[in-house]
Amino acid sequence: MLSLLLDAAWMTLGLALASLVGGMALALAFSAAELSKQRALVWPVATLTTLIRGLPELLVVLFIYFGSTQVLFLITGEYVEFSPFACGVLALSLLFASYATQTLRAALNAVPAGQRLAAQALGLGKGHTFFRIVLPQAWRHALPGLGNQWLVLLKDTALVSLIGVNEMMRQAQMASASTYEPFTWYAAAALIYLAISLVSEFGLKQAARYTRRYGG
Amino acid sequence: MQDYLMTLLGGLAITLQLTAFSLLLGVLMAAGMTWVLERRIPVATQLVQLWVLVFTGTPLLIQIFLIYYGPGQFEWLKAGPLWPLLKQPWFCAVLALGFNTATYSTRLYKGALDAIPAGEVEACRALGFSAGQTLWMKTRHAARRLVPAYSNEVILVLKGSSLASTITIMDIMGLAQRLNAQTYDTLAVFTVAGALYLTMNGLLTIGFRWCERRALAFQS
Repeated sequence: MLSLLLDAAWMTLGLALASLVGGMALALAFSAAELSKQRALVWPVATLTTLIRGLPELLVVLFIYFGSTQVLFLITGEYVEFSPFACGVLALSLLFASYATQTLRAALNAVPAGQRLAAQALGLGKGHTFFRIVLPQAWRHALPGLGNQWLVLLKDTALVSLIGVNEMMRQAQMASASTYEPFTWYAAAALIYLAISLVSEFGLKQAARYTRRYGG
Repeated sequence: MQDYLMTLLGGLAITLQLTAFSLLLGVLMAAGMTWVLERRIPVATQLVQLWVLVFTGTPLLIQIFLIYYGPGQFEWLKAGPLWPLLKQPWFCAVLALGFNTATYSTRLYKGALDAIPAGEVEACRALGFSAGQTLWMKTRHAARRLVPAYSNEVILVLKGSSLASTITIMDIMGLAQRLNAQTYDTLAVFTVAGALYLTMNGLLTIGFRWCERRALAFQS
């Protein structure tokens, strides 16, 4: 039983990391859109992230899981079920991105405009300026906020158990149903979440020190 | 759509009740825990720190399940006087949500107290305030700055109350899930439910903005 729970812990980590990658990509795209000068890009993104932040996380997860099937049914008339894992990752990525966008935008704004102008004066391209000049300096401001959102994301993965992804929460549910020892199994799962959180916090502290290595 | 709205509004009272009672429990517990941390009471301080670690490091869903399903494992608890309460999902949901928000509120309160300039505390000492009077002064000053952070916490609790639907409570989310299972009209049902939550959060945000303006009026 315990080995099943530990296997499921890897699933939880996988879910969280996949959502982190997806969420960061989305957050970068969103904050680039919000910082762009085109109004047509700013409004939809701002509305989407504000809406998602106002909705219960559970609702977002269920909406995407059941909603994706219905959308496809309305378009093609066929009944296709999407993989719960993919839907879970999509929902968690969206949730992560809608909070991380704000952090990233603030961090990108905190980089002095002179840096951008200097890069321009040196004749660097737009992409080069963003990825090699602005972004490395923005991380320092973004890291504490993003770290907190990673911890939130880690805990939100438990919600995906409700759409049937076999991660730690669901494994604990099944173990307690078959052994009639709910307290033991939920407490064991809770301890593993706690351990992952503590390790993450330690890693984030190290990372924060690394981003401050040139002082400031 | 209108039928859905009428059905889902039936869960509004439960959602609001869950939120209000959890917040009440949370504020009371957080006040106690912050007091323990602020006065540095031995043993109790370490216990509070451990409590904060456990409740901030684990998902709310697992806390709800642990409190609702967990006690059933122990015969002595089932025979005990608390069992009639512990077997009620509503009570367990309030307990879990309350413990959760108490933990995050404790962090907020302690942070706000720590942010008070040392000069103010020294001034209190110079004026001959007792430790209790000093803490009261700090509390009143911290309260003003707390409003924006606490409004976030209230919204988190309102959103978190939707998890009570997983232990059979028929709040807005619970009714939405049942309606979804009956009609398979996911997009419409969840859109209506989402609109309800967004409206509540919007109203809360506006209310807190107003409080903030009044509480921080001394600054402008």
